[in-house]
Amino acid sequence: MPDQAPPSWEDFIAAWDLFRDPMICGLVAGGALGFLSVYVFLRRMVFVSAAVTQCAGLGVALAFYAEIQLAIHIEPIFGAAVLALAATLVLLIDAQRLNMTREGFLGIIFALAGGASVLVGDRIAQEAHDIQSILFGTAVLVRPFDLNVIAITATLLLALHLWWFRGLTFASFDTVAARAQGLPVSALQMFVLISIGALVGVSTRALGALPVFAMSTLPAMAALLFGCRLRWAFAVAALFGAASGFCGYALAFFLELPVGATQTAVAGAFVALGLCAHAGRRLSVRLRAS
Amino acid sequence: MSEAVQLIACRDLVIGWNGHALLPAFDLTLRRGRFVAVIGRNGSGKTTWFKTILGQATPVSGRIVRSPSLNHIAYVPQTDAFDRLLPLTASDVVLQGRLHCNNFLRPFSSRADRRACREALECAGAAELGDEVFRDLSKGQRQRVMLARMLATETELALLDEPTAAMDVIAERQAVQRLIELCRQHDIAVVCVSHALNVAEKFADDILLFDRARGEVVFDKREAVLAHAAYQRLVRGDEGDA
Repeated sequence: MPDQAPPSWEDFIAAWDLFRDPMICGLVAGGALGFLSVYVFLRRMVFVSAAVTQCAGLGVALAFYAEIQLAIHIEPIFGAAVLALAATLVLLIDAQRLNMTREGFLGIIFALAGGASVLVGDRIAQEAHDIQSILFGTAVLVRPFDLNVIAITATLLLALHLWWFRGLTFASFDTVAARAQGLPVSALQMFVLISIGALVGVSTRALGALPVFAMSTLPAMAALLFGCRLRWAFAVAALFGAASGFCGYALAFFLELPVGATQTAVAGAFVALGLCAHAGRRLSVRLRAS
Repeated sequence: MSEAVQLIACRDLVIGWNGHALLPAFDLTLRRGRFVAVIGRNGSGKTTWFKTILGQATPVSGRIVRSPSLNHIAYVPQTDAFDRLLPLTASDVVLQGRLHCNNFLRPFSSRADRRACREALECAGAAELGDEVFRDLSKGQRQRVMLARMLATETELALLDEPTAAMDVIAERQAVQRLIELCRQHDIAVVCVSHALNVAEKFADDILLFDRARGEVVFDKREAVLAHAAYQRLVRGDEGDA
């Protein structure tokens, strides 16, 4: 059997109508998740992102289950958003009052949501491929409805984040001083968590849990490794996130790879580049000192 | 002392956690232009009182009366308390001092904010540090930047949590002298938690001493507290129940 030629640029242009929506979706969701990743990383909330993403995946699986087994139509994107926000609200509970830690909550949410996704997936065998695509981001197509929801959510959240940027960063990174100066710290922190929950929720249906988790954590690491100062770290992380979503999709097409994994790999490549830049900076400082 | 403007008054205040009192009720008044040293052994209630003043802990009983003119308080954490990952410049840190209540709804710093930030950096002897990344500064430089942020708040009351912790004796003396100068120049009440008894002995106007073992809270002018038996016990390192 002759080897099939790899997809060419002409093939890509020819199929652009098919790829346009998912690529725009990757660009928009990746950019917004990349922006929020700075909070996720600097506030040590990487596992928050993991648990919320897992819950969003469960939300999509439950929406499928309701449709198939119970004949109740629920948009999977709303299922994901509701469960992601519910997980976020659980994380807002003061864990110490229950003699627990937030990590304990995260462990429970992550384990239960992951296990429940598999169990629900087992009950809807005919949709197993869809469940797989949700968890690992192998979905090739994005419905216009999902793209619109993601675009509206991302635009709204980014606008509010830029508007309240000074207060959000102060309340997030120096809580005691911000509270002493009269800022509504609890409300601002809640807004950051809800933003993460909402965006992760609506993005998971379209992109998959794996790339959403990657784009909500790795871009900030990369931006900070490049030595960006805080304001620039937000901008550069948004750029890396958008590039991971957009270029990851294109790369997956040309190399015939799974989309979600390729988007994750691109985000990882930015971290690798950041590590090189960081090592280079340290080396040049040492050389100058010697 | 009595002419100075009252900023905060603790009335029959009992501090503690989850309803459990740490110390008996006490009264005190913080006034403008005074440098107050807060001393006591570990676990004596210094931090709890601080948190109660800052609104992070609820009084077990009694109340804290704030002057209507006191809109916000400047809080200066230990220089090591700042996250080492945060890539903020010194100017960014000082500009945070300009944020209070809901003025973060204005998305950009005003020209007045930036001018106040420059002036505060100059006043704190940190003018040349504005563009430097805060985490890369030395302890002494970070401390000057934090003092600049305190000035930029234009508050009447600043609470400092062991601002000279881990500094050598000379750096500590310079830092406290700078702090007192700023306190006098700007007529701010500065309340400073410190384990360094020499800071209280040499520089404080008033001393607040917590002795949890004996259930005593002493607040008075420096000389009076230095002569107090509770202070002598603290210096000798006596256990309360000895």
